[in-house]
Order: sequence, then C-alpha cells, then structure tokens
Amino acid sequence: MAGATRTPLVRADASRPEAVASLAMAIAVGLIAVGIASLFGLVPIDAAIGGVPTVTALGGLLVVLGAAVIGLGVGSALGYIETEPSPNAGLVATVGFAFVWFVLGGLTASLVLEGGLAWLPAGAVTGGAAFAMTAATREDIGSTLPAGAVAIVVGGTFLTGTIGPVWVWDLGFEQQASMTATFLVPAATIACGLLAGWAAATAYGGFGARGRRMGAYLLIYVNASAIIGVLFLLIAFTAVRGIPGLLTGATVGSGVGPTVSVLGVSVTLPVAVPFVMNGVSLLNDFQGVLPAIVGTVWLVVGAVVLAVPLGVGAAVFLTEYAERGRLTQAVEVATNGLWSTPSIVFGLFGFTFLVPRFGGNKSLLAGMVTLGFMLLPLVLITSREALLAVPDEYRDASAALGVSKWQTIRSVVVPAALPGVVTGTILGVGRIAGETAPILLTMTGGTFVSGDRAADVIGGFAFTSQPPFVTNPELLQATTALPFQLYALITAGVGLGDNVSNPVEFQWATAFVLLLVVLSFYAVGIGARYYFRRRLRHE
Amino acid sequence: MTVALVASLVGFLLASPFTALPVALFLLAAGVGWVRYQGLTARVLTFAMTIATVLILLLITVYITVESIPVIRYETTTVFGVPVPGLRLFTETRWDAVAEPIRYSMVPMIHGTVMVTTIATAVAAPLGVAAALFLSEIAPGAVREVVKPGVEILAGIPSIVYGFIGFTILSPWASEQFRTTGQGSYLFVGIVVGLMALPTVVSVAEDALSSVPESMKSGSLAMGTTDWQTMTSITIPAAFSGVSAAVLLGVGRAIGETMAATVMLRGVPQLTEPLYNVFYGQETLTSLIANNYGNAHGLQMDALFLAGVILFITVLAISIGSQYIEWRMHRKLGGEV
Amino acid sequence: MSETTPTTKTDRPAKTDQSTEADQPTEADQPANEPDVTTAADATNGDGATHTTAGETDEQVREEWREYDFEGMAKFAVEDLDVHYGDDHALQGVSIEIPENSVTALIGPSGCGKSTFLRSLNRMNDRIKSARVDGSVRIDGQEIYQDGVNLVELRKRVGMVFQSPNPFPKSIRENIAYGPEKHGDIETGPLARLLGRSDAAARDRLVEECLRDAALWEEVNDRLDDNALGLSGGQQQRLCIARCLSVDPEVILMDEPASALDPIATAKIEDLIEQLSEEYTVVIVTHNMQQAARISDQTAVFLTGGELVEYGDTDQVFEDPHSERVEDYITGKFG
Repeated sequence: MAGATRTPLVRADASRPEAVASLAMAIAVGLIAVGIASLFGLVPIDAAIGGVPTVTALGGLLVVLGAAVIGLGVGSALGYIETEPSPNAGLVATVGFAFVWFVLGGLTASLVLEGGLAWLPAGAVTGGAAFAMTAATREDIGSTLPAGAVAIVVGGTFLTGTIGPVWVWDLGFEQQASMTATFLVPAATIACGLLAGWAAATAYGGFGARGRRMGAYLLIYVNASAIIGVLFLLIAFTAVRGIPGLLTGATVGSGVGPTVSVLGVSVTLPVAVPFVMNGVSLLNDFQGVLPAIVGTVWLVVGAVVLAVPLGVGAAVFLTEYAERGRLTQAVEVATNGLWSTPSIVFGLFGFTFLVPRFGGNKSLLAGMVTLGFMLLPLVLITSREALLAVPDEYRDASAALGVSKWQTIRSVVVPAALPGVVTGTILGVGRIAGETAPILLTMTGGTFVSGDRAADVIGGFAFTSQPPFVTNPELLQATTALPFQLYALITAGVGLGDNVSNPVEFQWATAFVLLLVVLSFYAVGIGARYYFRRRLRHE
Repeated sequence: MTVALVASLVGFLLASPFTALPVALFLLAAGVGWVRYQGLTARVLTFAMTIATVLILLLITVYITVESIPVIRYETTTVFGVPVPGLRLFTETRWDAVAEPIRYSMVPMIHGTVMVTTIATAVAAPLGVAAALFLSEIAPGAVREVVKPGVEILAGIPSIVYGFIGFTILSPWASEQFRTTGQGSYLFVGIVVGLMALPTVVSVAEDALSSVPESMKSGSLAMGTTDWQTMTSITIPAAFSGVSAAVLLGVGRAIGETMAATVMLRGVPQLTEPLYNVFYGQETLTSLIANNYGNAHGLQMDALFLAGVILFITVLAISIGSQYIEWRMHRKLGGEV
Repeated sequence: MSETTPTTKTDRPAKTDQSTEADQPTEADQPANEPDVTTAADATNGDGATHTTAGETDEQVREEWREYDFEGMAKFAVEDLDVHYGDDHALQGVSIEIPENSVTALIGPSGCGKSTFLRSLNRMNDRIKSARVDGSVRIDGQEIYQDGVNLVELRKRVGMVFQSPNPFPKSIRENIAYGPEKHGDIETGPLARLLGRSDAAARDRLVEECLRDAALWEEVNDRLDDNALGLSGGQQQRLCIARCLSVDPEVILMDEPASALDPIATAKIEDLIEQLSEEYTVVIVTHNMQQAARISDQTAVFLTGGELVEYGDTDQVFEDPHSERVEDYITGKFG
C-alpha cells in the first residue's frame, strides 16, 4: 500500500542544527520584544543600543536571523541536517509568502517610482516569484528561503540607512497622513521576527508534519502570551496612573475617616480616602467621586432586582415546563438577539420608552430598568445552561418519590443549578456595571456632583394619595455613575481645571476606581466558580 | 391575576398614572395564588417571565422604529417619478443638521462602522480563533487556568476604560506617528474595538472546538498525525460552523461598540479622503448617537433613532445567522441541538 | 453479549459459560498448595454456578502462568510495564511477549487495565495528561518509551481501531486517504494539482484496496463521496479498519471493536480480523469471552488491579486455566 516512506522509529541525535534553530528562534522572539518596546517608545529608535544606533542594530540582527534561517534550509536541502521535509511547504505558507512579497515589492515600487500604478505589476512580480519559489521547491527550501530573504532585505534597508530614524513617507492622501520610521521600523521588525521565527521553528522540528507543528505552536504561543500581556499591561497601566489620584489626601489613623452609622451604631473609620468618600464641592480639600460610586451601586442593585427573577423564572419555564418547539425556539432567538443588541440601542429604547413613563426626566429608575433589560439575556442564558446541566436523574429520582413538579424544581433542580446561576449573574453584573452607553441616554446627571447629593433611595420612598400612589423622588432624579462620570470627564476636557486641582490625575483615578469595581465583580464571579467546582469535586 | 398583569402592562404602555393599581392587583393575586396553588402559580409566573423576554425585544423593535419614521419620510427621493421614502439617506453623503440644506445621510456613519468593523474583525478573528485553539487543544492545564480567566477579564474591562486609554494614550501617539491633523483614526479605534470583541470570539470558538468529540481527535492521532494536523484537518473543519458563528458574533460586538468609538473618533460625520484612509476617524453609527443625543431634537433626534434601527437590524441579523450556523453544526455532528 | 452471533469460526469450537462449567468441576482443579484461597470463594464454588462471588479470590499470581512459548518472532516485548493515572495504579508490572501475525486477545473485567495496556502499545496514553508510564515496551526490538521516538512513525506502524466507530466527518474517500495524505505519501491538494503531480489515481487505487481488504468495497463503491457519518455502525467500524490499513501498519490494535455493533456486523468484523491476522499482528481487547475464544490465537487475562494473571494459548486458557481466579472469571462467577 502507500507505505512508501519509512523513516526510522527513533530519531538520530540532531543537537547542532537544533541549536542553530533555537538560536534563530531566540533572536526572532527578542526582535519581536524589542519591536514592541520601541512601538511604545521604551526603546527610542533614534537612540543607540550599546553604541550602535537602534535601527542599525535591528537591521543587523534581522540580517543574521535571515541568514540563519536560510542556512538551516540550505543545510537541510544539501543533506547536512537530517530532516523530514514534505515535498512542498503547503498552500498556506505559499499564499502567505506570496502575499508578503507582493506587499514588499509593491511598497518598494511605489516608494521608488513615486505614485502611479507601478506598484501593482512590481508587487505581482515579486509575489508571483515568491509563490513559484515556495510551491516548486521542497519544503526545507520553500519555507525558509522566502522568509529569510524578507528578513535580509528589510534588515538590509535598515543597515544601509535607506530607512533611517528620520525617514518619512507622505502617503499623499487628501487628508494628510505619513508613514514614519518610528512606526515602520518596529512594525517591520515585528513582522520579520514573526515570519523568520516561524521558519526557524519549522526547521527546529525538522520540517514535515512535526516542523509545521512547531511553527504553528510558536505563533499560537506568541499570540496567547500577547493577549495576556495586553491584559496585564492595561490593568497595570491604569493602576499606576490611577493610584496617585486615588490616594490624594488619603490618611490612615484612628478617627480620621468619616463616621458611618450602621443600624444605629456609629463607627468612625480608621482610614480616609477622600477620592471615594467625597463628592465635589467648593469647600472640600480633596474632590471625589462618591456620588458616582453610590449611583453605580444603586444601578446594579436595581438591574439585578429586575433581571434576576425575570431571567431565572424564564429559564425555569423554558427548561422545566415548556415543550421543545416553536415557543422555546422563539425565546432562544429573542434572548440571543437581546444579548447581541448594541448597548446604545438599549439606551435609545430607554430614552424613548422608559424616560417618558418615569416622569419625563432622565432618572435613576430609567437607568436601572434599561440596565436590567441588558442583564436579562445574560442571566437567562447562564441560568438556562445551569438548569440544563442538572442531570435528569435528579428530577426522576424526585418525581419517583411522588413529589410534585414544582416541589421538585424548587427543592432539587434550582438548588443544584444555583452555583451556575450565581456565577453567571455576577459576571453579567460586572459587564453592565461598566456600561456607559445606555445610561448616557437614560440617567445622565452632572459631571461633578456634591457628596450630599449621593442618591439615597431607601429614604426617598413616600406614599401619596395621588396616582401612582408610590413616589420616590430619588429614583426619578438623575444621578451619576462611574462610567458616565469618566465619559463626562473625557468630554469635558479642559474645563475640568476649575473644579479639580489635577484633572489628569482625577480622570485616571476615576478610571481606576471603575476598573476596580468591575474587576472585583469578575474576581468574585470567577472565584465563586472555582469554589463551587471544588466543592462539587469533593462531594 | 393574568388580567391584572395585562392591564398593568397596557397601563404602562399608555404611560397612565394609574398603572400602579393593576400592578398592585397583580401582586395581590400572585401572592394569594402563591399561598394557595403554589405549583400552578409558579408555572404561570415563569411563563409570564418568558413572554416578557420576547416582549422586550418586540418593544425595542417597535419603539425605535416608530421614532425613526419621520426622518425616513423627510429623506424621500423620487426615482422615475416614484417617491421612495428614505432613499436619500443612502444616496447622498451630506449630514448637516444646522445649515441648509439640512440632510441626514447615513452614508458617512455606515462607512465608519464598516471601516472599524473590518479592522476589528481582522484583529479579533485570527487572534481569537488562535487563542481558542490554544485554550481548547494545546494549553497544558495550569496555563489554561490562567489564560481562560484572563480572557474573561479582558471582556470585563468597561468599554469606557478602553476608550479612555485609547483617547489619552493611543490617539495622541497615533497622531504623532502618522503626522495627521488632529486626533482620531479608524485604524486604532478598530484595533481597540477588535481587542474588545476578542473575548467573544475566543469563548464561542472554544465552545465549538471542544464540542468536537474526543473520539474523532484520537482517531486521527492514532493514524500517526501530529496534533497540529489533527487540529487543522479534523477539529477545525468539524467545528467550522461554530467557529464562524464565533467570528460573526465578534463582528456583531464590534458593530455595536459605542464608547471607545465615541471618545476616540472626531465626531464629524463625513467620509474620509480617500475612502480607505484609515488614519482618520470620523464617525460611526454608534458614536453618532452618543455624540448628538444631548443637543438633538426633532428630525435630528429621529435620525439618531434611524442609526439605532440600522444597528439593531444588522446585529439582529448577524445574531440569527450565527445561531442558524451553530444549529446546523450541532445537527451535523449528531449532537443535541 | 452476543450469544446469538452466528459463529463463523470453525476450527475452534465456540465456548459458552455453561460448557466450561460442565466440563470442569471447579473444586477439582484447585491446587492444593494454594494458601490464600478464601472461604468465601470456597463457599460459592461449592454451591455451584448460580452464585456470584463478591469479588475475586486472593491468590498469588505465578510466573509460569504468564509464560507462553510460541514459534516465530515476537512483535512486542513488554517488560515490567507500570501505568499510573494520578494516584491510580492502572497497570502493575506487566510483562508479555506478543507474537507476530496472529491474533492476541486481551480479556478481563472492566477496569482491569486491558485498554490501558493496549493504548500503551502505541503511546496513545500520552494524550492523557495524568498518565505516567514506567517500564519498557519494544517493537521489533526497539524501545518505544525513550527520548527521540517519532510518534508519527510509531503510530503509522501500530494502527488502532476504537471501541465506537469514529469516522471523520468527511467523505468515505477522504477518510481512507487521510493518513497517507497527512504523511505526505499521497498528494492531492490544490498545490499538487497546480504543479501537475496530483496522485489522484494512486489515491483511488489505495482507497479501493483498503476498502476491499476491510470487506466494505462492495457496499460503498458507488458512494465514495458521501459523508462517512451516513454509514451504518458496522460499516463505519469497517471503514475505520480500512482507514487504519491505509497507512500499511504492522500491528493493528483493536479496543472492543464490536461492542457497539449488532450480531451480524460483529460477525463480519470477526471474519475480517481472522483474515487480517495473516498479514498483520492483531491485538484485540474484548469483554466478550466467546469472541476471544472464537477469534484469537492466544489470550491474556487481566484481572482487577491491572495485573496480567494468565497468558497462553487460547484453548489452554479457556479450557484449562492455571489460575483459579481466571477460571472464576471465564466461567462467569464475577466480572
């Protein structure tokens, strides 16, 4: 049969070429790191690394990298390195290389020839050549030569100073824009690093199926670490920028904090963080965002009160009572539709539907209901999943004992699904707590709200003899919330200076507090999931 | 009880101050029912809650559509003598609510949304699918336990925070890099929005990839293929519809993303010159609403609602499309729907 | 169990629980110097066949029960193989030599490690992250648990058929051609077509050959482009065997290949296994003792705790087992 290829079961020792390949991979990863660092301005490209101008150093490394990659390929082709190359590099690599060379050729042509459509044939020629080259040769040549050549060409332009630190290319758009070296050099370095790193990883795996696996894994690992890196960077950056503002005027010591009375017992807190304990007023030493925090809390509470019973109830009906059919299908489509409806559309809806019904003003209540509507599909979907995950044996066992359906649901099904519901709700709340767009249209208050105007919902209830008999001015008043406050701070821009001594710090601190509030919901949610899963395993 | 509920609903719809009366009646009836016939009451209540979900979607559709009708009527053009309502919204490119002739063309915003969504998809789709592959097939247990919550947290960072960082850091930086006049570019809004759509793509695609039966993967591995070959030839093709549904949902998220676009874009509704100039960012459908709701009234407000309708319909279509694709995949794999 | 299965094997009489029971009074065979036999086992044995024992009797496994001399070459030589799943000890010091071009059956109650043993022969246990393997497995004298082993090559030589049919969601043709294409032996991709070196004809020859060898050609030759998931269970399993043959393996491992099939499909698979054993080394796990007796040349019995208790010629193991526990097992007293 097709057993044409018989390779030895145990691979011979191939440590030297592997060392070259891993060195090349290390250079590539290093170049990517330097490229990212210089994109963020941490390694300025007009400076020097160890006496050598950055651009020249990058160019040199790129040339070395390209040469190493080509060396690996040629070495394998000439039989110096024991590999198992496939007959060709595969369709993906071929098309990829063709594209890269098309772009490279086209860019060069349009730079040299200045305009016109000359870039098109030039790109087609280089792209076509790369395509033919990759497709027609064996994998060890086909997947290294084009990649190495890109690195050498790009590195060469850096080395020779064709593209130096002050290089600028006016794109000639009507709305003026230019490509500068500060962007192009790092970006090109990263791209070449990825390409050559992939080729080196392929060579490291000895080409063939194992080599491609290595190459793909390298890219996937880089991708995963990049995502985690971005996340870490975002949070760390906001924290570093936000903490000074948050801690402005913060003091620790007994009796310095404001007095809080809980159930008639007054406690004076031992810490004072004015940023989260004050509002904004002329008399304050330090301004804060207390009303926004209180507003956010009330919003979340309102949304949860509305959405959780509704969502869980609907989920119970769908999983326990309803037959699978038109209705469940319609509800599923509607829920998923609601889930993906843009938040601004919820805002518009709240604006036209809810606001006129709650006294005609933007109000806390309208915001609550709008966010509740947003939370509803999330709660419904996660509760549904949790309920479906409850094994039918539980229901059968309970039913076999002669317990009525509702009793079964209440005492067996819902408790078993509770962990899922709780976790899903917390994560959903984290999501809506940070939403800005809907409350923009339903609940906006002023940018700076004084501390004594923090919403006091419980104290606001009053009964009247007029319809609708229950009134709560606090609910019907506009208040503010953290996300909106941040938006207002951004749009207010320069005007901030009058109210806050250090507007930039104030903005970052607001962003940080918002991030803290939302992420703590997520931390609790994810923690709860781990806790429940752990407990489930132990039982 | 049902009567009371319907009555309160009607009252609410009519914005009547007497709404509280049927609400109270309903609560009373529900309370009595709960005490006396708990099972039946629960069933009816949960059914009502189910209906409420569908009702909300219907209400949204009806209310924002109704609000947008005047502007559709205003922007009527005649084609071959037949008046076509709303056609001028898409044939002209002028948006001007102040100076004559007053026009509310949606074209610049649609262009902006398309630009941002394209860039965001180019970022989120490949990275998201690769990350999903990593999570479901490649990552060792411990790494997975770190990366998966990480992706979830990425979804949790409020869009306004992304927007704020984009506005204060990315926009000035990009403006300096590309020597543009003023700040705000579709390129960077697209990248930020792509980052925000990424978690959606990752989690949905990961679900799809893990739903491919283990026996299929083992079957391929036992043939002596590498796990990468198994992924590309068995797992991804088998989960293809699920993965494309994930990308579609990501696109939906990107279209509807509001705050990052609002604070990072210029807020001037016009086309970029040339059309593919990604270094300038004007206005998207979402940012149009967020930027103008405050000072808009009359026809302009209705035009904002029209933008909302366009968004809503597009995203709803995408959502339904992706559900259909997922449903087909489950049927093909022989699993439960 | 497939009591109703038409027995197609004629050179070896099919055995049922009753016949073995009748042939050999259990008490008589019990070695006198066996110190560890519990009274519970005695009681059940004495009371006849209607009882089930609570578990297995305690007895010392003897080395000679596991020795089996055969003519010809050994394909696999396994020495002191231990497999742990986390804290679970799934296989305990298994040593066994498996002869070439024959059918070796692995039987035993569920959870006795026979599947684990099978999966350690082509290192499919590597998939399970908590699995730890100690000991030595040699194929044709080459150790497969050492650094630098090419898993691709190993699994090409040692093919595997799984418990439930697992065809890929592709066409029948693509299912068969999958292995050779992935190993680069056949090229039919767009690039190969572009360069004019597509092996479509060679592929079609291979597909036909494999399907004929798996006794499936007649049934599917007119619908090679249909999705393989549309076949019946038995056809799917034979397709999986054909798929396994396509990479020209030396050994075929089968993990209860007929357990999900009806009696007629099972009979077809059993016929096929017998044919295959002329050219390939077949190692088959089964919980169906009649099946093992029908199709295998030699039988290895694993009992609880992952121990290999007895290994020998199938006739000997079924008719005259050395171990009392094995006898209890094959007479249906437990398991």
